[in-house]
Order: sequence, then C-alpha cells, then structure tokens
Amino acid sequence: MIKRPNFFYHLHPPTIPAEQARFRYTLGLGGLAVFLFTVVLITGALLLFYYVPSAKEANASIQILTYYVPLGWLVRNLHYWGTQALVVVTILHLLRVALTGGFRAPRRFNWLLGLGLLLLILGLDFTGYVLRWDVEVGWALLVGTNLLKEIPVIGQGLYRLAVGGVEIGDGTVLRFFGWHVFGLLLPATFFFGWHLFRVRRDGGISSPKPKPGKALERIRREILVRREVIAALIASGVLLLLATFFNPGLGTALDLAQQMGEVRAPWFFLWVQELLRWGDPLWMGVLVPMGMMILIAVLPYLFDRGEEGGRWFPQDGRFAQALVLGLIFVLSLLTLIGALR
Amino acid sequence: MRARHGLFLGALLLLAGLVIVGLRELLPSYASYAGNIQPLRIIPSLTGGPEYCLTCHQGVEEISSAHPVEVFGCVTCHGGEPLSLDPDKAHQGLIGGRNPSDFAVVEQACGGSDCHSGSPENQRDHIARALTSIQSTYAGAIAQVRFAFGAQPDQVAYYGIQAARDVEVITDTGLLKLEAFDPVLLQDPEPVQSFAERCLTCHLYAEPILEMGYHRLTGCSACHSPSNLTGTYVGEDPTIAREESGHAAQHRLTIAIAYTQCNACHNRGNYNLVDMAFRPREDLPEGRSAPRLDEYYQPIAQFSLCEWELDCVDCHTRMEGMGDGDLHSNKSEIQYVQCKTCHGTLEQPPLTSIISDPNDLAFRLAFLNPVIELQAGDTILVTEKGEPLWNVVRGEDGGFILVGKETGIAYDLPLVVGSDCEQKLDEQESRYCHACHAVERP
Repeated sequence: MIKRPNFFYHLHPPTIPAEQARFRYTLGLGGLAVFLFTVVLITGALLLFYYVPSAKEANASIQILTYYVPLGWLVRNLHYWGTQALVVVTILHLLRVALTGGFRAPRRFNWLLGLGLLLLILGLDFTGYVLRWDVEVGWALLVGTNLLKEIPVIGQGLYRLAVGGVEIGDGTVLRFFGWHVFGLLLPATFFFGWHLFRVRRDGGISSPKPKPGKALERIRREILVRREVIAALIASGVLLLLATFFNPGLGTALDLAQQMGEVRAPWFFLWVQELLRWGDPLWMGVLVPMGMMILIAVLPYLFDRGEEGGRWFPQDGRFAQALVLGLIFVLSLLTLIGALR
Repeated sequence: MRARHGLFLGALLLLAGLVIVGLRELLPSYASYAGNIQPLRIIPSLTGGPEYCLTCHQGVEEISSAHPVEVFGCVTCHGGEPLSLDPDKAHQGLIGGRNPSDFAVVEQACGGSDCHSGSPENQRDHIARALTSIQSTYAGAIAQVRFAFGAQPDQVAYYGIQAARDVEVITDTGLLKLEAFDPVLLQDPEPVQSFAERCLTCHLYAEPILEMGYHRLTGCSACHSPSNLTGTYVGEDPTIAREESGHAAQHRLTIAIAYTQCNACHNRGNYNLVDMAFRPREDLPEGRSAPRLDEYYQPIAQFSLCEWELDCVDCHTRMEGMGDGDLHSNKSEIQYVQCKTCHGTLEQPPLTSIISDPNDLAFRLAFLNPVIELQAGDTILVTEKGEPLWNVVRGEDGGFILVGKETGIAYDLPLVVGSDCEQKLDEQESRYCHACHAVERP
C-alpha cells in the first residue's frame, strides 16, 4: 500500500534543495510570515467576538476584552505582536529575496504579489491601529487619510471611500472595521495563497542551476516540516512572552470634538511622517512613497540579467542589492529620526 | 539528533511562554492591592456605566453623604478610565490628578448647573464664589503690598492670582475685575517683584509649604478635605502609601472643618516684608502639634473663651470663608460676624429665623453635617446678611444652644440682653467685648 502524505506534508514539495532549505539562506522568513499570518488571522477572528465597531463603544469594548474576558488580554496582545512581527518579517523577507536575487524570472510576478502583500499588510496594520479609537490614533488617522485628498482627480473620492463620509466621524470606525476585516483582509488572504502557490509553480525556492553531471543535494519534506515546527514553537514562545510582558497601548477614547493626542504616526509610517515635514504633501506623502514602491516593483524587470541564484549577494546582482539596501537604509533612517523626535 | 534538540528547546520555550501566560491570568496586577482576583464593579445611578475603580481602591471612604458612591461612583468627579484594571491606564484622564477640586479643573470635576455651578439664588454657586473669594484671589495682600511700596495710590485691589471678572456686583465694595498679578509684566518696585516671586503661596491655587503642619490640598479640598500634620493618608484605601505626604487624611469632603485645618494656613507665621521671606512662628514646638490655645492664637492676640473653645466654622460663615460672589479688596470687606451676631446687644437680641421650608439652606447643611437634628418650626440664629447659623438653635427652655460643627459639643449660648454688660451701646464691635471678656493665657 502506498503511503500518501498527509495534508501538511502535501503543502510542501516532496523534496527541496538542501542548501536552500538551510536557515542561513532563508532565515525562515517566508515560513515565519505564514505562521504569523495564521496567528493574526485566528486572534483576529477571536477579537471579532468582542470588538464593537462604533465610535462610542470601540475603546470600551477593547478594555472589556482586555480586563474581563478570560485570556482576552492574551488574544489582543498576540494579535498586536503578531502583526508587528509580520510587518518586520515581511520587509526582511523582501530584503532576503532581493539580496539573493530570488526575484528574477520566473519569479518576477511573485515578487509583485509579495510587494502587493506588503502593502496590504501595512494597510491592515494601519486600519487595525485606528480601530483602537483612542486619542493616540487621532492625528495619524487625520493626517493619513488627508493624504488621500492630495491625489489629483480621484483623491476626494478615495478619501470618502476610506473614511466613510465627507469627513472623519463616528462612521469612520465602522468603515475602517470593514476595510480591516474584509476590504483588505480578503485580498490579503487571496494574495497569500497565490503567493505560496506561485512559489511552488515557479519551481520552489530559488536555487542555483545544477552543474552538469552533478545533481543538487535535496532533503525530504519531512525534514523541512520538522524544521518549520521548531521555528513555529520558538516563534510561539517568543510571541507569548512578548504578549505577556508588553501590552499594546490603549489611550483614552478618541473624541473628535476634543483635543487629540500627540502628532505621531504608527512606527511603520514614521518615515512618511518625516517626509511630510520636508515639503508638499502630494509630493512627500503620496508621490515619493509611491515612486519608491514602483522602483521596488520594477526591480526584477530592471535587473533581470544574471545567472547566479540560490545564495546571498550574487555578484551579478550588485545594482539591485545596492538599490534595495539604499532604499531600506533611507527608510530606516527616516523612521529612526521620527522615533527620536 | 540536532533536530530533536531543536524540538525540545522549542517546546521548552513554548512551555515557558504558556506558564507565564497562566501566571499573569491567575495573578493579575491588581491582586496585590485587592487581595483577590475578582474585579469589584459598581454601576452608579447617575451615569449608568460600570466602574471598576473599587477593585483596587476597595475600602476607600465614601467622599461624603451628599455624594453617595452608588449614585456618583468615582468617574463623575475624578475622570479616568472606569473599565481599566491596569493602574496606568485606569488613571489616564484623571481630572486634576489626586485632587479634582483643584481650581484648574474644579469646573470640570465639580461644576455643572446641577452640581456646584448652580445659581446664587439656590445657594449652589460654590465654585463661582470660591474662585472670586479673597482666599483665592489673594487680592488683599497684593493690594496692601503694592500700596505699601508705592506701586498703587490706594488700597483697592487691581490684581489677583488669576484674572477675574464679576458680571454682577452685589456689594458696595465689590470690584468689576482683577487683572492677573504677573510679576514679569509689572513695572512694580523691586520689593513688590520679590513679593510676587516668593510670597504667593498663601492662596487656594498654591501648593502648600511641604513641612509639618502646613499640609493641605489645593482648591476646595484645602478646607473641605482635611489633612493631618504630616499630610499622610490614614484611611482604608490600600493603594495609598501610608508614609507618602501630599494627601488628605481621608477620602472625605466635609463641612465639619476643625480649626486645625484653618491653621494649616492661618496663624503659622508671617511673610517678612523686609526680605520677603516667610517667617514661621517661633513659639510653636518644632515638628509637632502645639496645645490648642498656642496653635490657635499668636501671643499678642486677644480672644474670648468661646473663640478658644469653638472651631472657626462654628461662628464664621460660608460667605466669609468662600466669598459672597464679589471680588473684594480686603478680608475686612467680607468678614462680618461679630460677638453680637450670636450674643446680641443690650438692646437687641440676635436675629432669628423659624425654618419651615424643607429646602432651607439650614436643613441642607445640617444634612451634610448631622451634629444637630433640625425640625421644621425650629428657631435658629441668622446673621445680619441672612446666613443661617444652623448650629445655633433655640432650646426647649427658650435659650439658645450652639453645637460645635466639628466636635458635636453643645454649649449654652448666653445673651447680652438682660445681662450686667456695661458696654456703651454704640461700641458693639468684638474688640470692645474683648476688653472685658478676653481670657488670660494660662
């Protein structure tokens, strides 16, 4: 009788190249992103049982969840830390792929899917941040959504679509809730599946072309799954510790008629806030970030030539590596400046 | 082998995480105060919203009989986050920190037309009167010092601690406005500048001197939430450190104010106008409470037996202490109770009033401080301005009985009418009474 793989084994290819399955090559980032996405999805689903998407009750419902629902604090804290980790891991994953030349054909399209996922994750993080509906999110919400208005022609329409009215009001919570749990989550989940599918379809993890007469050493998927389980155990432990010892912030309920809190974007948009200090909102808040994204998006099409793959810093990908590292450096610097203000 | 180690270590880390999660769930941070892990909820009828403050602050005294906790709860006055069980989060948005009656926030915490920003006719304009009273504006001292050093031609007040306006002047000496006494902007002589820098501590906006005997809170609580000599809390709230100063002695608002509370500011020393420095009294024992007589009156003062034995509030009225709603230039314009207010003169017995209206102020005050049980039809004393001396009531034998508002001690009130008093009829101020009735220091 043929032993057929179970569901989880079946999600993996029967064998993968041993060298590229090593932690030092992937840093486990793609797998970690899948794990974190799952954690965030489950905890998010649990949050739905208690969160009330109304301006009057949103903040109180989070407090009730945090203080009175058994392990409610854990659910919220895991959701928060899972999301923060997901942003970091996704960016590092992008960096890993760029620095190993993994974006080249035939994986160019998956690079675009991955970038789209990053944008959706940032959107999910921002909408989730606003759902706290406390004084801390007031300015970020105001400034962030006002940027949409700067976009010529369609700006006003986009703004109304985003905030659910001609201006931010009580209905904005429900609108952001809609975006968070449906409008952004649905495409993100779809893109996630598509991204994983394309990894398989594009020939698995990027690896060097086999030399003539010498086959690449490969490992069985059972070994890969075991490594994934170890990574998931460690990640779970770290998440639990983070969630137990560090509570995400929750300020006083946002009252749009009252003075709002500090003018500060969430950490993953601090770089945009810094840019905005330098000039025109259309340029600094919309066109420059958009230009950066486009630059990253066209990377595989600009630097497609090269034979080396499946290892860090291939020589024939120096331009792309310099470009991505430079961009990440600038964004990190802007974030740091913003954080230290 | 390595993979097995990895699995083992990963499982160990996960287990550690789970154990710590369990500990946090079973031993929440508030358990250290509350002694148990069951949150304590109240739903005050005024707001209808749940409040969990008493989870940690269980045992705290009800602030007063006029503010029952089941009606007001905590948040109506204190603000904060009623749902939070995390100390930092719970105290976000507290109005005035520990003291919501601080004048910077009193309107927000204690105001409102149904509360203490009501109409003067209903005697519920407490905040407006307190903010314009001479104890808050310090206008008298500022005017006197500026006059003394030639900065102004008369003794009328032009400046107060805060700028203030009065839309309806009701007395002859009432002022329309006071400007803020800001020493930086003033072109006053140097001594006045020094006074402004060093001596503006004796008013209800100011923090007290942080030394034994000077402790009080600011705003309304300076008088109505008595402190002890060390400014420490001695009540039942387990969250307040017993050795930490800056607290009222208990979580309490009262109109039974002992003379000791008045003495936190009054009779403790003087500002020396030569070097503009505070000079504490030297006749008091250092670091501890003095016998009442010594603490009450400075050595040169003349006083009668009742002034020695009674508390300040037994005779001095709410208008004298909290103001009449007008801005004044001097304490003498607002302080009017004399010996004759209670004792009358040879020609005239004290003024009286029969209380019958259930909303009479006398009933309200006696409810707040039930040292005496007033009945409809009782005869009480009233002042020449119509303020009830609700703790002085006619007894069954026709004589008057004064009950100490803080002590609850009843005293027979002797009247001048029919006595052997030989004082001239046109010399009826208290100072003339002291000529015969002052008691000697033992």
